[in-house]
Amino acid sequence: MTIRLRLTLIYGGLFLCSAAALLAITYVLVHHQYTGAFFISSSRRGLVTVTDAKGLLGVSPSPKQFPVPIGPKTLVTNGKLAIAAAQGQSDAALHKLFVDSAFALAVMAVLSLWLGWVIAGRALRPLRTITETARQISASNLHRRLDLAGPDDELRQLGNTVDGLLARLETSFEAQRQFVANASHELRTPLTLERTLLELALSDPNASIESYRHTCEQLLAVGEQQERLIEALLTLSRSQRGLDGHQPCDLASIASAAAAAADYDVLAVHTTIQPASTTGNPRLVERLVANLVGNAIQHNVEHGTVNLTTETREGRAILTITNTGPMIPPVELDRLFQPFQRLDGSRTTSHGLGLGLSIVRAIADAHHATITTDALADGGLRVQVSFPAA
Amino acid sequence: MRVLVVEDHKELAATIAVGLRREGMAVDIAFDGEDALRHAAGDSYDVILLDRDLPKIHGDDVCRALVARGTRSRVLMLTAADAIEDRVDGLGLGADDYLPKPFAFAELVARIRALARRNQAGRGPVLARGDLRLDTVQRVATRAGRRLELSSKELAVLELLLGAGGAPVPTRELLARGWDEYVDPDGKVVKVTISRLRRKLGDPPLIETVPHNGYRIST
Repeated sequence: MTIRLRLTLIYGGLFLCSAAALLAITYVLVHHQYTGAFFISSSRRGLVTVTDAKGLLGVSPSPKQFPVPIGPKTLVTNGKLAIAAAQGQSDAALHKLFVDSAFALAVMAVLSLWLGWVIAGRALRPLRTITETARQISASNLHRRLDLAGPDDELRQLGNTVDGLLARLETSFEAQRQFVANASHELRTPLTLERTLLELALSDPNASIESYRHTCEQLLAVGEQQERLIEALLTLSRSQRGLDGHQPCDLASIASAAAAAADYDVLAVHTTIQPASTTGNPRLVERLVANLVGNAIQHNVEHGTVNLTTETREGRAILTITNTGPMIPPVELDRLFQPFQRLDGSRTTSHGLGLGLSIVRAIADAHHATITTDALADGGLRVQVSFPAA
Repeated sequence: MRVLVVEDHKELAATIAVGLRREGMAVDIAFDGEDALRHAAGDSYDVILLDRDLPKIHGDDVCRALVARGTRSRVLMLTAADAIEDRVDGLGLGADDYLPKPFAFAELVARIRALARRNQAGRGPVLARGDLRLDTVQRVATRAGRRLELSSKELAVLELLLGAGGAPVPTRELLARGWDEYVDPDGKVVKVTISRLRRKLGDPPLIETVPHNGYRIST
């Protein structure tokens, strides 16, 4: 049964009940008045007037008069006769009232059902719009919105909520699409290179052992690059999936180990390690710290510095990493954490895969940690990751 | 034939260039959109191989800018996105052809040659003058049925001269369209290549020197 039908039946039923009650009350009142005292008076013209307590009989505005023979002896008899006649009259009137009311009730019941159907239809129209539009919206036209007009009522609020949901879906679909496009570029370009290298080596009329050896070395390097890319994509996907369990993670020891393992030559790496523990997946937290340290070292200036600190403050285990480096426009900060985005906009593989900071963000999200990024005034970056303390 | 390879993956760009040079093409490389537009400003390329995902200026915008300039160069888009919509989008921007990665190198070469041919309206893959025939697809030249052993540079120059249909081709143009940007601009290489070509073509001589105006194929 549709809501429209249900609403119509409820409207109709309520109307029918209240109308029936109203008519019943009217009937009872009228009936009560008929069965009350009658006043009888005679006139000189030999008419007996019968009036009820209020001087009215039924709905008639004037007192009822009954012609009777005139004479003092007959007055009482005539009065009784008149009362009997009046009684018969009122019974007929009550019966007529009952029949007419029942007829009117039936007509109004039909009318109210029809009106109920129309009004329910009008009230539910925005719902139909929402249903139809939502049916038409699929992944390919997520930009469409309901855009309900009308007063700010519950249905409009529902429409706005659905619009909000669609906007979030569109953003997420767009990010997904962008990710797939970037990933396919990153995966297919080295495949193209491998294929071209092989085809050129095979079709080279002047091929020598040396040239084959050179091609093989190039192919190995491309293969290693692809391995790293696939490994990074898998790590990203694993960390986006969330955590299976929470184990204790000592942020302080992870940070010192990452600083010790970092690969750098002309940089100064300073660490200020204070106790800081959280819970989560220690391997993923290690990956997060290693990626941040690697990033700070890679995007640095000659004889620059990297500062790594851990501390516990206000119930949070905080890791802060600051590095000297190129100037970063503050508007670019958010872009850095998106997959395959590199600061210079290039995809040249010498500057990494473009996935490091995306992985950092995914791991932080999985650990309910927040990341704060600031571009430093004289170049470089300060990244603070705040974990819930264990 | 002169080709510009626009590809931000440096190794891939270099490898494609090596392969195309082996096919007798003069190849320049650009690594980003800005660089591509700077190179293409002279409009001396027959075909521009354009990767779509480029830093600085996106490949789509490079393509639009080239088309807006009314370039003579044919644009062959290379991209990792191979959905039908992507191809339609790419061609809609004004690209002349579209090749998804990864591609077979032989197909890339064939497409570049086909595009370059479109610049000479109505020209087939085989160019002929008298008893000299040049198959521009197979890269084979014959004279009176006898196969000539020509280097790729000599083939390129012969193709330019035959393609002009007897009209003189200035040394400057031979240099611009047959050699890449790193050649000596004095035209000595053209002279050397022409003299080698004359020797290999044999008698009667087919290439004439037009004083102050380059060379042409005699009728």
